[in-house]
Amino acid sequence: MQTIQPQDRSRLDELKHLRDIFNAQNSKELKIAFGALHSCLEISEEDLEVQFNRYFVGPMEPIADPFASIYIDDPDVVMSKSTLHVRELYETMGFTNPLKNIIPDDHLGVELDAYYQLLYLEEAKGITYLSDLRHYFLHEHLSLWVPRFIARALEHSEHDSKAMTFILLQLKSLLIRETTTQGVTA
Amino acid sequence: MSYSKENVESIVNNGLSRRSFLKGLAASGVLSSFPGGILQANEDLNTKIPYLGEKSYKTFRNACPRNCYDTCSIKTYVKDGVMQFIEGATESTYTRGGCCVKGNSYVKRVYSARRLKFPMMQVGGKGSGNWKRISWDQAMDIIAKKLLEMKKEDGTLLGAALTKYSGNFGITHYGIEGMFNSIGYTTRLAGTPCWPAGIDAQNLDMGDMWCNDPEEMKDSKFIILWGVNPASNSIHSMKYIYEAKKKGAKVVVIDPVFTEAASKASQYIQIKAGTDGLLALGMAKIIIDANLHDQKWLDANSKGYKEYKAYLDKEIKLDNVSKITGIPLAMIKELALSFAKAKPATIWMGYGMQRHTNGGSMIRAIDAFVAVSGNIGKYAGGARYGHLNTWGFNYAALSMPKPEGSVGYTGPEGAKGDVAQGKDAKSNYTDRFLNINKTARELINAKEPKVRLLWVACKNVFAQDFDRNQLIRAFQQLDLVVVADQFFNETAKWADIVLPVATQFEEYDVNVSYWHYWLTLNEQAIKPLFEVKSDLEIAAMLSKRMNQLQAGSCTFPQSVDTKAMMVKEFNPGIYEQFGIKSWEELKNGPVKAKAVIPYADGKFKTPSGKFEFYSDKALELFGSALPTYLEVRKPYDKFRMTSPHSRWSLHSQFQNLEWMEDVHPEPYVYINPDDAEAKMVKEGDTVAVFNKQGLLRVKAKLTDNVQAGTVLMYEQWYNNNIYNVNELIDDTSSDMGAFKTGAPGVALHDTFVNFRKL
Repeated sequence: MQTIQPQDRSRLDELKHLRDIFNAQNSKELKIAFGALHSCLEISEEDLEVQFNRYFVGPMEPIADPFASIYIDDPDVVMSKSTLHVRELYETMGFTNPLKNIIPDDHLGVELDAYYQLLYLEEAKGITYLSDLRHYFLHEHLSLWVPRFIARALEHSEHDSKAMTFILLQLKSLLIRETTTQGVTA
Repeated sequence: MSYSKENVESIVNNGLSRRSFLKGLAASGVLSSFPGGILQANEDLNTKIPYLGEKSYKTFRNACPRNCYDTCSIKTYVKDGVMQFIEGATESTYTRGGCCVKGNSYVKRVYSARRLKFPMMQVGGKGSGNWKRISWDQAMDIIAKKLLEMKKEDGTLLGAALTKYSGNFGITHYGIEGMFNSIGYTTRLAGTPCWPAGIDAQNLDMGDMWCNDPEEMKDSKFIILWGVNPASNSIHSMKYIYEAKKKGAKVVVIDPVFTEAASKASQYIQIKAGTDGLLALGMAKIIIDANLHDQKWLDANSKGYKEYKAYLDKEIKLDNVSKITGIPLAMIKELALSFAKAKPATIWMGYGMQRHTNGGSMIRAIDAFVAVSGNIGKYAGGARYGHLNTWGFNYAALSMPKPEGSVGYTGPEGAKGDVAQGKDAKSNYTDRFLNINKTARELINAKEPKVRLLWVACKNVFAQDFDRNQLIRAFQQLDLVVVADQFFNETAKWADIVLPVATQFEEYDVNVSYWHYWLTLNEQAIKPLFEVKSDLEIAAMLSKRMNQLQAGSCTFPQSVDTKAMMVKEFNPGIYEQFGIKSWEELKNGPVKAKAVIPYADGKFKTPSGKFEFYSDKALELFGSALPTYLEVRKPYDKFRMTSPHSRWSLHSQFQNLEWMEDVHPEPYVYINPDDAEAKMVKEGDTVAVFNKQGLLRVKAKLTDNVQAGTVLMYEQWYNNNIYNVNELIDDTSSDMGAFKTGAPGVALHDTFVNFRKL
């Protein structure tokens, strides 16, 4: 493994923590991932999860669904065209998805996982074979919908949650950094 | 660093480039370097190329199980494990390759972002909106412990209540009742909000509820659609009606509302609500007086015709019939005589008419009219209401023994439901039955023991039951409310635990109709999404946890495969009836029951074995042996409110899907222009519709499709809208229903309201 620069380690860690937040299956996992983002906010596990569910999970209509298809194809359904496009991308990236046809491939947590793994190959392993795919995934897919997802979630001030705002701003910051600081040209 | 969009898209979208890229990927050793997460490195790349070019469709057999006459046979097209579209199965001559607007939206339903995805618990109290994810194990642990605690404290499980109805009529879904049978004697919300008064009426008259094949209507010479609107709610039946009409048959719609079906008929007769029975009695008198009745059939096949005729002679005055029904006498005579002269002629009675305080008596009166005309037991004839004659399955998941030592209810035994119930062995105990049509007050008033746990399955209580405000109180007083559903609705809002349930595309099942005669296999077409599970799987998981906590406390299987359970539902009788040797033949498409004309042999299942104009049972139960005229409920407010089904929903289902919301986004109150003018209400105004029960604010639509003195509001649930027509409906009973379904129906259409512009 090559030496990772501190800024790249931080970049990878932040991505991993955000991924873990959106893939958490219970309060504990959520709180651990949230804490790892260096949030200074004091919030109980239960409150954090209740707020997270209201924003992104349900069972009531969430403030912002964390699926690409909602923002790209159709505001009401998952598993549509862009979901299957991402599926093809994963396949080309060399991924197999154990949750195929169970969790839509374009769930934010799954997409952040794909991006994290690709970035890890580059930064931690020095393998650049897939970097074209990573950039394509970032610029032609993630950048199409994640900003809209963030904006929708931040719009709902009536459900103001400092914790969710923190998560969303971290995500926004990550996206801005990934898309603007590497001199990428399409 | 730069990247080329074109190059990447070429690799992703072009089979050959992609194949070449994947080979390179495997050779480069990249795969072994992935750090691991949800997505795994695809090791298969080392041995074979997984991309197989354009993926083709796989097809599956499915059925629509959602309480609809049509129960469509569906063919589902799946690509790479994802449903792409459905179509009606062409093998069923009834469905004939088409589905309705609701069925066609199934892909949108299955993949709706609004589906319940995970088991969740409401942590801030019912209605707080504070939800926490729990695992299935945690959910089952909470429920199982509560049940066992109740059993220990109460000595019985009568404190556990089940309310289940028509959200899924798949045969294996009776396993939910089986799950409750398996834990002991429990409390059931019994009866049916749908069709009970008519079921009783037809059972009193003919000993069964059994209708002719709807496909025969193509050969009917005269069709009366009486209080039924198939152009909206049974669209596949319309082709037979159109065909009959094309061949010269007369099609008459009798309804207080000018419906879509009325617009397609030869003649529309607008009748005053609740007077249909009197019209039928008047028409019977007319054809008897004209000697157009079928005396030969009546002599051979009926009981009490003389008493019936005497009643008509004495009590039915045609001028009064005209005055009370609002129909000119000449029109009534013409209708009666032309019906009697046409052979075969048939009447299809809808489920709206019987939703009056005199609903059962009205169905009895219409049955009698069809009998007098000689059209019972005839091809393309019949008094059509519905049937369950193709429902002879094993109900395998239903028939579980009670755990040893179970203690139950010792009060008077009631009837148990409209479709299927277990075959209880002789016992000193029974379950406790509460009236489903008075859910709120029954839950509140049940004592010794009080109801502490409520399980809701295949049902949206707040959209279907009455007196919403009292329902909230009832739910709040319960220790634990479990709602198993596919969507978050108002019932889920008042739950403690919600459990995400599979759609029919995610499980095996088998379906038949209460109208047509087709049998359809329902295959699992896709994997269950997120963490959804079938009702049967949920039952098995609960059984497993209960038995872990207390061995022998639940007799339901502790693991279940919906396919295996579906297979158990078949028996030689079903195979014989449908002319197949194995259920696997259904993979080739739906099959139809062998042709049979109900009562063609003149054998009725009544005590006398004949069509009973005079029914001792009716006298015993309802105080009148004959189908007599019973006045409808007196108005208690200024306008009658009728709340029929909409074409965009099935009770509370489907309306929350975007296709429906696109065309029918919000509720309206439909008001006759004369009434609107008197109240200074214009099209689009927001009005308050109110009565002693509650108040709703809705926009007005003006239409003379509804009579002056009547307002119409559809019964359905709108997503993110507080509208619920049941806010205005009390739980006043119809006259019949308790005989066969355990509880009387609800006189939904005998609701009265007032309105004013806001």
